[in-house]
Amino acid sequence: MEPDVLTLLSPERKHTGSTMHELTDDYYRRLLDALPCYVTLQDRERNVLWSNSLSRRDFGESSEKTCYELHRIDRSKCSDCPVQQTFQDGRIHSREMTFIANEGSRISVIEHSSPVLNDRGTIVSVIQSAVNITSVKDIQKQLIMLGQTVAGMAHSIKNIMMGLEGGIYVVNKGIEAKNQDEVKEGWEMVLLNFEKISHIVKDILYCSKEREPDLQRVNPNEIATQVYTLFKDVAARYAIEVGLDLDENVKEAVIDPVGLHTVLSNLVSNAMDACKIDLWKDEHLVEIRTRLGNDGSTIIEVADNGVGIDKDLKEHVFEDFFSSKGDMGTGLGLMVTQKILREHGGNITFRSRPGQGTTFVATFPQRDEPEQV
Amino acid sequence: MKKKILVVDDEPHVVKYLTTFLEDSGYETCTAPDGETALHVLRQEKPDLITLDLQMPNETGTRFYRNMTKDKNFKEIPVIVISGIPGRHLAVSKPIAVFEKPIDRAALLAAVKQAIGD
Repeated sequence: MEPDVLTLLSPERKHTGSTMHELTDDYYRRLLDALPCYVTLQDRERNVLWSNSLSRRDFGESSEKTCYELHRIDRSKCSDCPVQQTFQDGRIHSREMTFIANEGSRISVIEHSSPVLNDRGTIVSVIQSAVNITSVKDIQKQLIMLGQTVAGMAHSIKNIMMGLEGGIYVVNKGIEAKNQDEVKEGWEMVLLNFEKISHIVKDILYCSKEREPDLQRVNPNEIATQVYTLFKDVAARYAIEVGLDLDENVKEAVIDPVGLHTVLSNLVSNAMDACKIDLWKDEHLVEIRTRLGNDGSTIIEVADNGVGIDKDLKEHVFEDFFSSKGDMGTGLGLMVTQKILREHGGNITFRSRPGQGTTFVATFPQRDEPEQV
Repeated sequence: MKKKILVVDDEPHVVKYLTTFLEDSGYETCTAPDGETALHVLRQEKPDLITLDLQMPNETGTRFYRNMTKDKNFKEIPVIVISGIPGRHLAVSKPIAVFEKPIDRAALLAAVKQAIGD
């Protein structure tokens, strides 16, 4: 029999028979059930005594389950469980958390717990309400990626300025001392940095123009393997291992091959940067993965065990990302990557643990090949 | 006798820039592209001051500094850090100065003069 939420909330009252009270009770039951957030009622052992309609929809039936089993968090209680804290001090506690829903999708929530008291003021149970903030987290991640782009570009430009100042200085010295070799050497420095500026401008122009991707039937695993081959030797020089974890179900997809290659290269390059500046681990790994999504989409993941991304947007974490000099990196890689995904109707996001690592996830939706005109 | 400066940087262009500028300002220079080579050059040339790039790969810059300060012959040599990353420079415990790129030439020269004179 369905547990009656009103009885659970105030066990001293009798909720029996068809009276005026019962009609009001019924109204309250429906009200509680219809609350537009995940609501559960829990006892001290985190057993879920009752869950509302939305919770049942996304997490399934709650009877005989504990909170952590229902939300697929862990095999045992969370160390920072707000429900436990509320049982201890009778106050409201909150935290951010990630629940796993029925189909395995991750739901970011803000969880609040508040006490339910009986007539004598004893805490009989705790209400846990969790609000879905996944879309807010998405926006936060977009902002973080934007911040990375800005910091990356600033870093590149700083290095270019240094290079130009150096080249100009050496050229002037050469002219003064009538030393042709010095002039040539200085001029080369100027030219090299001019080339770097050109790359940045190219990337900025790329990002500012709307265009249709050149969709073709491609094998994403092949392209992933190409990028793997491209980077594995360079990475080894920095003591970074590159791994490949390809889903054999990903056989073909309709994607712009150059776009896919660029996305993979940018993500691997960023992952390597995160490893290079991670001073706390000796062994680093960058893994390239492909997966087939449930809806036929092609999912590309690039995971690293580098320095991680701090959600508080600490400045030095971004600057550190772009410590590689000498290469033609523009710092705009992530912005270009986002553009490519947007043009395909896909999206890019990431998950990260500061100090432990980051995984970027790019999703290319399933599409039909464009008609041959 | 001219004072000698050891320039440690993995980018040849930066090395060229700094050595040209420092020589122009009346100093002798010697160079190294990484921490390991820098240790050899340090023992051979016995410079009066070191400019150290902390953005070199594989922590070769910070390792060089640690090894250098372990040696009583060299631990008193003043070090100027070239680094774009706040916090990185903390790997060096007593730099004379820390410069971010692009380097302010005048300020660099002033710091060098203050440390070892003309």
